[in-house]
Amino acid sequence: MVTVAARPRAPQARRRRGVQATRGYRVFQVVNGVILAGVLVLTLLPFVNIISRSFSSEKYIDAGRVSFWPRGFNITTYRKVMSDPLFWINYKNTVIYTVGATLVAMVLTTCYAYVLSKKHLRGRGVLIGIALFTMFFTGGLIPNYVLVNSLGLRNTIWAIVLPNAINVFYLLVMKAFFESLPLELEEAAAVDGSNTYRTLLWIVLPLSKAVLATMVLFYAVLFWNSWFTAFLYMDRQELFPATVYLRNMIVGATTGSDNASSSDFGLQVGANIRAVTVVLTALPIMLVYPFIQRYFVSGVMLGAVKG
Amino acid sequence: MTQLSRRELLGALGGVAAFALVGCGSSDNGNQSLGDKRVGAMDKFGVGDQFKATEPLTFSIAMLDNPGYPYKADWEFFTELTKRTNVKFNPTVIPLSDYNQKRDVMVGAGNAPFIIPKTYHPSEEAYIAGGAILPVSDYVDLMPNFQDKVKKWGIQAEIDAQLKQDDGKYYLLPGIHEDVWLDYSIAIRTDILTKLGVQAPTTWDELTTVLTAMKPMAKPYPLSDRWSTTPEGPGANCLLAHLSDAYDTRAGWDWQPYHWDTNTSKFVFPGAQDNYKALLAYLNSLVSQKLMDPESFTQQDDQAKQKFGTGKAFVISANAQELVNAYRKDLTAQVPGGTVTKIPRLMGPMGATKRGTRLENGIIISSKAKDSKNFVAMMQFIDWLWYSDAGQLLAKWGIQGQTFTGNVDDGSLKLASDVDWAGLNPTGTKKLNVDYGFFNGVFAYGGSTKFLDTQFTPEEKQFQDAMAQRKLRPSEPAHPLTADEREQTTLWATALKDHVNQQSLKFILGQRPLTEWDTYVSELKGKNMDQLIDVHNKAADRFKKNHG
Repeated sequence: MVTVAARPRAPQARRRRGVQATRGYRVFQVVNGVILAGVLVLTLLPFVNIISRSFSSEKYIDAGRVSFWPRGFNITTYRKVMSDPLFWINYKNTVIYTVGATLVAMVLTTCYAYVLSKKHLRGRGVLIGIALFTMFFTGGLIPNYVLVNSLGLRNTIWAIVLPNAINVFYLLVMKAFFESLPLELEEAAAVDGSNTYRTLLWIVLPLSKAVLATMVLFYAVLFWNSWFTAFLYMDRQELFPATVYLRNMIVGATTGSDNASSSDFGLQVGANIRAVTVVLTALPIMLVYPFIQRYFVSGVMLGAVKG
Repeated sequence: MTQLSRRELLGALGGVAAFALVGCGSSDNGNQSLGDKRVGAMDKFGVGDQFKATEPLTFSIAMLDNPGYPYKADWEFFTELTKRTNVKFNPTVIPLSDYNQKRDVMVGAGNAPFIIPKTYHPSEEAYIAGGAILPVSDYVDLMPNFQDKVKKWGIQAEIDAQLKQDDGKYYLLPGIHEDVWLDYSIAIRTDILTKLGVQAPTTWDELTTVLTAMKPMAKPYPLSDRWSTTPEGPGANCLLAHLSDAYDTRAGWDWQPYHWDTNTSKFVFPGAQDNYKALLAYLNSLVSQKLMDPESFTQQDDQAKQKFGTGKAFVISANAQELVNAYRKDLTAQVPGGTVTKIPRLMGPMGATKRGTRLENGIIISSKAKDSKNFVAMMQFIDWLWYSDAGQLLAKWGIQGQTFTGNVDDGSLKLASDVDWAGLNPTGTKKLNVDYGFFNGVFAYGGSTKFLDTQFTPEEKQFQDAMAQRKLRPSEPAHPLTADEREQTTLWATALKDHVNQQSLKFILGQRPLTEWDTYVSELKGKNMDQLIDVHNKAADRFKKNHG
């Protein structure tokens, strides 16, 4: 967040310096830098703390003595989690579910949003109404389960993909974005003989990279972190995503409900399983962020130019 | 949102099911109508018989996946079980973390497996109105081992009191113990006792004496307790439960808004009992003499553990696991020569007695199972695996000669040299539960005292032997409430509990003098105490009249 806000300012600042920045502006820059650095530290420290906890030993964690550097370096929990073949099967599932579900969700949401953005479309109000209705009223847990079950989707990837394929909030964001594109562009394409699909694919989508990137990220994070649908509709361990696996580990380790976990080993796992879980699940999706970030920036620039 | 809609739907399902049931008529009670449901069942199945289905059968089961020993389909337990009984499981694997929620959905959606173990009373009550689960009490005549143990150990009264519904039936097949299994007590520094030349206390009054002797060595309180952050009580909830057992009332973890008074044979409100007043007076005396840390009622467990582990305090509430894993470990690391042991529960006005339940979590059965042609075989199978001595032995310790040696009766049972469970045989390289699937909480619980003893370390066995000497007090009578009554009493009880907790803490800490006891009782009356107790007493009378 911090970097996104800071970057567009950079070229401006350089230009100013060429013209000899005023004293007041230099003071502002310093103060600004200090404040933003503070924000950066505040944002990063919890992550650093989590990472050092994940490598610390139970003794120091329980005593509350781990802050920003691992104490009593220990990888028991990592080893316990990562040496389990089931964890990797489940991790693979997470990747498959995330990629598959994001793909389907993007196609469906884009199509729906594009249609809804056309103000001349008859019945548009009804289509929007249908979407909005699901935002305020849900069928409830058990009816959903019955539906998914009788469609034969249980224990398949479709149970995860289909019920969540269109998120109404994201749909509305996309619709608003499409509506903000100049109508003239599409009219020009139509004059040149482009039909609706060609216009969407070759004119509208290339201009919408910013919103597409945002949506991909939103959906991917949503599916990556989701555990409930998988937990509900999957009846076999080898179909679970990593989130369900780790959630079960956390609860098992922290309740210590049976005597098997009453060893040093169990205590160690109990002490930092949460931190390890955060590292293992959050890191991969965080690594995707930098690659998508430039589209955010271009989105910001796009708005700036038009404004 | 989900909660509400689920409940609504259960209600709706209930309506439909009730309608359907009316259509069915009521001839399906007991054994006679099960003639076409005996496929695979044994003709003669009695106590001590090995159950073996006459043809291969598969039963669906909700299989809780405990991360301590993650479920494996190829566990020796399953292969051995199939070999002995001709039965296979078709499991729905459910993570421990959210077992109840998935069970709720599956039962609510009418898609539950036949056998649903690991269900804790009263969560089965939510399914009854919908007709989704079987009133198992109608079918226990198919279960000779269960009936035998219930009779032998005199457990029927407890089942009636705790599980029976207003219709006189129960829907949960509980795990049953021969005797109450108590784990929580207090831990005390034995090296300090030796240094002072005093005996370990056996009563609460003796504890005061011991604490007074310890006082000069403590920094500054000899007793600093824990378990204050978990409900129901005002803090130090383990100690309060322990005390309330000795004083025959209810407090802390043992709190419930009604208590059976054996003198008047009526339910009374525990927070207004004279016994409760005596309990508060006792704790108040400890606090005012500075023998007990006032922070005992508010501090986090870690703080209390730290005070004990660093040698500032010498007495703390304990269970077997915390004794070994926390207290002793901390002491060894931080206090040279510090030794600690868990002493038998302290006695009070009730003398050498104890209370507690002998029932455990248990099994509910899908109503659909009754339509299966294998229904009788399934009930026989459940009876054998969960309630026969041979089934329990298999589920817990596995196979004689392979995972264990010796036998239960003469106490010679031992794990095989290469097998370990919970540190009982530290040199064992294989884990009884992880590698073999035995001692799995889904299948192994309950049983005779001798059978339970096999799982204790010698130290814990000593504690258990001492506790076994105490006489079990009879449990309160059955008094199932109707749904309306339950709703109303819950409202009253919540307000009452809050007031009792707040004021108890004030009485204990001396912020309110015990001379104001009568005012306090009238405050409780203002919060519908008498009405609440009235409902429970009426329910008890009603049950006695209808089903007694």
